[in-house]
Amino acid sequence: MTVRSELVDAAVHEDVFDRSYPDLEARQLEAARELFAERREQIPVLRRRATESGVSEIRRLDDLVPLLFAHTSYKSYPASFVEQGRWDRLLQWMQTLSTQTVTDVDVEGVTDVDDWMDRLRAAGHMVLATSGSSGKVSFLNHTRGDSEKKQRHYRRMSGWPYVKADNSRVVFLTSPSKGPNSAIEAAVNSAAVWARPGEAHFLTDEPLRLADISASAALNKRMAEGLATPGEIAFARVEAQVRAERMSAALDDFVEKLLSHRHEPIVVSALWAQHMAIIDRAKALGVEDGGFHPDSLVSAGGGLKGVTLPDDYKERVDRFYGKVIRNNAYGMTEMAQTCPKCQCGRYHRPPGLIWLLLDRDGERLLTADDGEDGVVEGRFAFLDLLYEGRWGGLISGDKVTIDFKDCPCGRPGPTILDTISRYAQAGESDHIGCAGTIDAYIRGAVAP
Amino acid sequence: MNAILPPLAGPARVRHVVKGRIVEGDGPEYGREPNRFTTPPLDVGALVWPRPTPTPAADVPVDEIIDVLVATGEVLRRDASGALAQAMERSVAAGFYPRDLVETSFAHLGHMFSRAAMEFMIAQEIGGKDLLDGWREVETPSGRPARVRAFPCRLLHVIAGNSPGVAANTVIRGALTKGAHLLKLPSNELFSAPAILAALSEAAPGHPVARSFSAAYWRGGDEAVESLLFRPQYFDKIVAWGGESTIKGALKYVGPGLELVAFDPKTSISLIGREAFASEAALEAAAEAGAHDATIMNQEACTASRFQFVEGSLDQIDRYCERLQARLGQARRSASGEPRPIARSLRDEIDGLRDLEDYYRVWGGYDGRGLVIRSDEAVDFYPEGKVVNVVAVERLEDAVRHVNVATQTVGVYPPQRKAGLRDLLASAGAQRIVSLGCATPEVGLPHDGFYPLHRFVRWVNDEG
Repeated sequence: MTVRSELVDAAVHEDVFDRSYPDLEARQLEAARELFAERREQIPVLRRRATESGVSEIRRLDDLVPLLFAHTSYKSYPASFVEQGRWDRLLQWMQTLSTQTVTDVDVEGVTDVDDWMDRLRAAGHMVLATSGSSGKVSFLNHTRGDSEKKQRHYRRMSGWPYVKADNSRVVFLTSPSKGPNSAIEAAVNSAAVWARPGEAHFLTDEPLRLADISASAALNKRMAEGLATPGEIAFARVEAQVRAERMSAALDDFVEKLLSHRHEPIVVSALWAQHMAIIDRAKALGVEDGGFHPDSLVSAGGGLKGVTLPDDYKERVDRFYGKVIRNNAYGMTEMAQTCPKCQCGRYHRPPGLIWLLLDRDGERLLTADDGEDGVVEGRFAFLDLLYEGRWGGLISGDKVTIDFKDCPCGRPGPTILDTISRYAQAGESDHIGCAGTIDAYIRGAVAP
Repeated sequence: MNAILPPLAGPARVRHVVKGRIVEGDGPEYGREPNRFTTPPLDVGALVWPRPTPTPAADVPVDEIIDVLVATGEVLRRDASGALAQAMERSVAAGFYPRDLVETSFAHLGHMFSRAAMEFMIAQEIGGKDLLDGWREVETPSGRPARVRAFPCRLLHVIAGNSPGVAANTVIRGALTKGAHLLKLPSNELFSAPAILAALSEAAPGHPVARSFSAAYWRGGDEAVESLLFRPQYFDKIVAWGGESTIKGALKYVGPGLELVAFDPKTSISLIGREAFASEAALEAAAEAGAHDATIMNQEACTASRFQFVEGSLDQIDRYCERLQARLGQARRSASGEPRPIARSLRDEIDGLRDLEDYYRVWGGYDGRGLVIRSDEAVDFYPEGKVVNVVAVERLEDAVRHVNVATQTVGVYPPQRKAGLRDLLASAGAQRIVSLGCATPEVGLPHDGFYPLHRFVRWVNDEG
């Protein structure tokens, strides 16, 4: 048993987040050393990065810094591969970020990107996709084993430190039940660990299709090239409208079911905007604030980009569900082992996740000495020791504050404070230049 | 030079200019290290020229204005007060460009105030000095007599900061058209505009032209300021440069009586014909011209070429790429010789292509000395920091599908291919077709599809 698997397998223990792990930092470093030595032989992009930065071995955590990938790495394939259906080429790209051989996946007769993903998954490559605001999808490979370990971690983490997931509840998830993105995977995991048989309710069973996202990106491209006709734009608008109406009807049914179970301990997980839509419908049905069973688990999350919510949306959601368990965790698509929030409102570190706090520019590793009293602000990065399918090192755009001392809740180890925000992107800081792209000239098909 | 200047510790103190008068003081603080700066407290009321009174320079003959501007150029070139040198040091300290490029850009400012250039601008863009100084008689087909004048306006300029030349150009254009001008300073070039306006006041203290200019910083999009100022009662036009957020911010306030003059965000490209492979000398010449055009203001300028479409066999195109990459890092009048590592996000994108050797080939590293990616499809990302995507094409005409309304300058090699391409390019949206190597901006010609001076005035007629 390697140090790495020992750390990751700590998740088999129900009290994984309460235990103290002697010499954890030294063991994490040993695991990182072990993992890098193996992965650099397997993952071409990591090997190149290692060669360029002159890192041949992980001797200190600092050595990991130049080896971190960013979310960009996972969408660095040429979009033309998807547009022109060059599925073999897309595999070739995927290979550069994967541990296992993917180029032998049969892509004969693949019709679209969803089909391509299905082929990969059928071959045991559990590729997850995310769609950024750019419309270009990122692809993150991992193994079936990774996927199972992720669910095992989820079981320990979800409900912590209040209740344990025990497949006893009725579960409401405002997500499609099928689809290749991490939000759906999380919803499916939530259903798997909380729901009693037949009582996991998703917003829809209509699978999320990447081809729809690609189609809207393709339409934007046609607009940029001046080829899209007004008719095409109108058609896209009608399609979006039809989809929105279908989702709205699905939400009506969903809310009705949710409300009928509100007096028993349930699990509800939704984005903030979806919670607000649930509240609107409940109000229309004459359902007042409160009235949910106090052992219910309600989680909320998601970015607010592109949605307009009232200033007091958080308070409104609080009032509506009343005194329930509000569990939460810090994580992202690229992270398998998420960090759950304790009673003190701080996020705790699983033993198999190495936290790397960097300076704003992501160049230098910060330590407890870089702040006052061991509390330090910086850019969050990590090495997730769980992954067998890809490199687990990633630099994020998140600004976090880490307290390197033990948590006030009494548990040992560093914690992330509940102040996570995004670093401003380049260009958001009032720097004006005359150069730019056609992107500024395109209004979305759906936006008027 | 550093020794005679005050140390650059602490936040930089930005100067404002209010109607020709330099304003200093400690007000709000902005930015973050190393670009922290303070400005004087903003007196919004002092930044407008009340409507009932004509703009200060309305009745100053344009020849006198040209004299004042030429004298301003001399003040800038001499810089006896050291004010321009100090502004330059502040710019260096802000760190957006390496020192050598800041030095050459600032050294060029004085030369922009050229009499010949200004005479040419007026002739080309307005159609004669008489239109600026008074009313030109015209005969209409109906027989009704009429008189037309290029009348001064009140303009609010949201200027770009990727070159100090933008501020100089704005002052020249603004002065020649005699209006009243408020320059909103960009946070990436806070020092050149106040220094140029200080030189104007030094050249002609209290002169109406000097009194026609103000310059101030507030955070772009700050509603507390912009909702007060961006009104037709105070300004006729908003002249907005660049970024999507600037243009969209300005659009919020545009309505009857308040017009937007937009220098939209632009991308530039190059087209290189198979003639480049006729001889080694031709190839060298094309690569040199291509490197020049790609590195204008270290590729921060809208005129800087980012995609180069090359006609030829793969082997030929690779030879071009190799020569181009070797030249991208060179110091030029418009480019620094000091390398700056390229952005991490761009590196991540390029890393993703490096192992697709059958379709992509990469020359150069991430150190900022120039990098070329050859492909048969344009890359999805935006090349910057001396990064060029060379796209292989069968015929230069095939590149036209990459041209759109955001395409500003298209450099063509050899020049004789321009005539066959320019109508196609213009039809697709391009605004400027040049011989490869000539992408640096020229004055007195249209910019982004219009004559700036023509738009800086209000055309008024007196009929009958």
